[in-house]
Amino acid sequence: MKPSQMPNEGLRSAPLPSELRRGSVGRREALRSSLESRRDVVETGRTAYMRRAGKPSTFTRRLGAAAPPDLYTIAINRMGYGEINGQRAEWIALGGNETQRFEAYVDEQVYPNSIVDTEYEQKVGAAGFTTLNKNLSQLWIDHHVNGSGWSQRSRPIRESELDQFMRAIYSKKQLQEAMVEFWLSHFNMYGWDYWSVHVWPDVINVIRTNCFNNFHTLLRKITQHTSMLYYLDNYASTRSGPNENHARELVELHTMGAENYYGVGDPLSVPRDANNIPIAYVDNDVYEATRALTGWSVNNGWSGRLNNGSFYYDDADHDRFQKNFLGRVLPPDSGQQDGEDVLRYLADHPGTGRYIARKLCQRFISDDPPQSIVDEAAAKFNQLNTSASQIRETLRVILKSDEFKNTWNEKIKRPFDVVVSALRATRANFRWEWNADDVDDFFWNYDRCGQALFTWPTPDGLPDERGKWQSTTPRVMTWRLMLWMSDERNGSGSHRWDVVAKTPSGVNTAEEIVDYWVDRVLGRALDPADRDEMVDFMRAGFGSSSPLPIGSDSDTDARVRSLVALICNCPNFLER
Amino acid sequence: MSTSRRSFMVGCSAAIASLGGARFKSLTFGAAPGDDTLVVLFLRGGIDGLSLVCPTNHNDRGLYEQARPDIAIPLSGGNSALGIGQGFGMHRSAAPLRNLLLDGNLAVVHACGMMNNANRSHFDAQEFMELGTPGTRTTFSGWLSRHLETLGLPNNVPLPAVAIGSLQQTSLRGSIEAVNMNSINDFNLNRGPSQWRTQHRSALRNLVENGSSEIHTTCQQALDAVDVVELNAAGGYSPANGANYPGGSLGDHFRAIAQMIKLGLGLRVAAIDFGGWDTHNGQGDNGGGYFSQRVGELSQALEAFYTDLDGSGANDFIQNTTVVVQSEFGRRLRQNANRGTDHGYGNSMLVMGGSVNGGIYGQFPGLATGQLFDQADLDVTTDYRQVFSEIVVRRFGNGDIDTVFPGYASEYVNVGPLGIVQGTDVPISLGPPMFGDSFESGDDTEWDVVVGS
Repeated sequence: MKPSQMPNEGLRSAPLPSELRRGSVGRREALRSSLESRRDVVETGRTAYMRRAGKPSTFTRRLGAAAPPDLYTIAINRMGYGEINGQRAEWIALGGNETQRFEAYVDEQVYPNSIVDTEYEQKVGAAGFTTLNKNLSQLWIDHHVNGSGWSQRSRPIRESELDQFMRAIYSKKQLQEAMVEFWLSHFNMYGWDYWSVHVWPDVINVIRTNCFNNFHTLLRKITQHTSMLYYLDNYASTRSGPNENHARELVELHTMGAENYYGVGDPLSVPRDANNIPIAYVDNDVYEATRALTGWSVNNGWSGRLNNGSFYYDDADHDRFQKNFLGRVLPPDSGQQDGEDVLRYLADHPGTGRYIARKLCQRFISDDPPQSIVDEAAAKFNQLNTSASQIRETLRVILKSDEFKNTWNEKIKRPFDVVVSALRATRANFRWEWNADDVDDFFWNYDRCGQALFTWPTPDGLPDERGKWQSTTPRVMTWRLMLWMSDERNGSGSHRWDVVAKTPSGVNTAEEIVDYWVDRVLGRALDPADRDEMVDFMRAGFGSSSPLPIGSDSDTDARVRSLVALICNCPNFLER
Repeated sequence: MSTSRRSFMVGCSAAIASLGGARFKSLTFGAAPGDDTLVVLFLRGGIDGLSLVCPTNHNDRGLYEQARPDIAIPLSGGNSALGIGQGFGMHRSAAPLRNLLLDGNLAVVHACGMMNNANRSHFDAQEFMELGTPGTRTTFSGWLSRHLETLGLPNNVPLPAVAIGSLQQTSLRGSIEAVNMNSINDFNLNRGPSQWRTQHRSALRNLVENGSSEIHTTCQQALDAVDVVELNAAGGYSPANGANYPGGSLGDHFRAIAQMIKLGLGLRVAAIDFGGWDTHNGQGDNGGGYFSQRVGELSQALEAFYTDLDGSGANDFIQNTTVVVQSEFGRRLRQNANRGTDHGYGNSMLVMGGSVNGGIYGQFPGLATGQLFDQADLDVTTDYRQVFSEIVVRRFGNGDIDTVFPGYASEYVNVGPLGIVQGTDVPISLGPPMFGDSFESGDDTEWDVVVGS
């Protein structure tokens, strides 16, 4: 049996000193809240009902705090994954007042290459990763051509998964990681597919390198990436056998979006804008784009091709005749240029700007962002369509807007956000190195929360609306994960959730312990009734301001670990 | 909201309302309308309905073979289609479904979909269907949520709805009565330092009840769900009648639903998914391959579920259970060059249960170019809401079609039930204002119409 699976009793330390031992009064006190609240079915034996008197069938939209917290809390929770212990001091050094600091923080975050990232660099350097710096052809050759077995083939994506956690937790380039997550979902591929596992680090590198730069460049690199060409079948789309899968999602999901789709209709009937461009697309545009992309394939070793995984254009498979796409003629015999024109027309279409701007606002502000900020961001996006800073400047418009700064709790944390922000706040000793001893146990638990990395099967990507993430699977399984984490031990029997050791000396009473960890995890005060609840939990029958034997009594230490998990499980921690 | 119509709804299902204080367990054995469970299985990705149920003779057979030289379901050989009458055959791997059909327990509805709302986007089409408002995406709640809300359920129902999967289906969007879970076994909070688990849970309960925000409300829902599952569904489960669920998630999920039905927790609706139908590439030649395997798993799971619930007397659960199998659209008539099919339009729906009048329903519009939608796809001749409305009305006694499918009630009154399920046609409420307060007037009779037999 691994230590992590041992019953707690086996590792209990010496009994409490007699004066601190919980007598019957203390135990009763500890159970008081559950009995009085008549809610804990285990204690009371009551029946539980999903439908009961006085409870509505459907919830109504009722968001939390009317007044947003300070700009710091908004910035670190919505431009990244929450506060890492020690971050506030760095924030304060950014300027003389909150506004200056906020502006400086945004300006710093949109230029990740200038950010010194020592802690992450040290950790990744010691992680034993061997595939993350390989380029596409090295990955293809080492893990496909010369690969043998699933373990070698899939090592690249498994390293990517560990690195994703490591970066989100420890990297100072928080906005970059948020943008990697955004684009990975926007251009969603099923990473664990046979044709993706071995090249996945390259997918992420392409996205990370371009996540603030030019949209057309990013679009083109992804459209021509072997993972996408396989995922959406274009690698096999030929003039004699066109396959519309990729072309459809290219238009519907990657560029113009379904919001600019007029369905099945006559392309000539679509109204035109001032530049004589159709304002929307119809199915016929999808079919014409399909023809334009025929022959866009992969150097996969098929006859006459190299076998290195790079993009390959096969003119013999390309439909050479004239096409009409989005109101433009693609002349006959244009070869690969047909597809290039399609990407250019799509990237430049005003509808694409609106769609991308709306998605970015949905990610960073709210599920239903004000049209004013969407329009402003879209205008910037469209204006900078040839700029290498197109996405960066669009983001700056969004992040520096009043809409961003004045909005709170319209978004909630998804499971990845919950776990990462809990680990940032606590700096708990979970490990992401290759073959860290219980990392598989972590993923076994994490993957049940509904957001296993790189596994979303359909090209629409992860939902970005709170309604999808507040159902009971993600909530219960994320609670359960935090509970598991609070009790997990490493190979030598030490708790990974090492919050006892991280509680400063002098923080001894229930009130002090709660206040310290609430501030460290949430970075803001709790409602007094919530604080009382936590203090009640922590004191377990002792006085709120009596010193507890923290560090010398295993029951007390277990309670501290459980308390910090409780803070991470409380509703406020989901706000962002 | 529509709760203002409650007294009307209670009138429709007085038998249930009068049992409000009774143990819920007894209800599942009763025959009162509304005691049913509706299981909606959504086949994500757009199943190729023309491979599941194919034409076997007449003019359409020739057109079908011509359009699908490699992937047409053959009429001879080991993978030949199994005749179900009226010139149609079922995929060989769906043999269990054909048996259910011939026994009168499964209905095929041809050429279903969103009438007048063709959309070849998976994600739009799924969302429109599950919201129950084709063409409108701003609807707040899913159609199953509104069905639950207008069902006239008594208070204190342990588990009126489950949504199986990692995320709650859009058809149950907005419902705080639903339990969303992947697996009964994992769905608990039995982790963390063992000496403080109980206190952690009770403190968490107090924290989530100390607020009424959306986060608090949905956290309460989640803790309620843990309580319900822990109190009722813990422990093992052995299927009855030799039911043999296939390995894999679909079999597991149907098994879990069967368990919950038998526990008598008041389960009214269950949403469940089975993906992998977006067969643009290599769907399988001559009735074999990938599609065949997928249909095999689907059929085996449905058959096992039917068998499991098909007891006698107090164990006759299938009489009050209806399973509907739907998908967002069908696929193109013509195969593509990768021996797959691209997105299409009309599709088959399946309805299975002990109160189903087995057979073939709907009108097959034909496969000649002039009969196809957009000259490419099987057309839609039956709105999917007609099928669901009939079940809502006849199996649940819920006539509030206007709330369940806003804007569709008068159309339903026009077309009436197809006769797929047994039951009584209750008055259909036609409006006026969708979520208005008009019921307060007390005079609803002027907009109630009885349709069907």
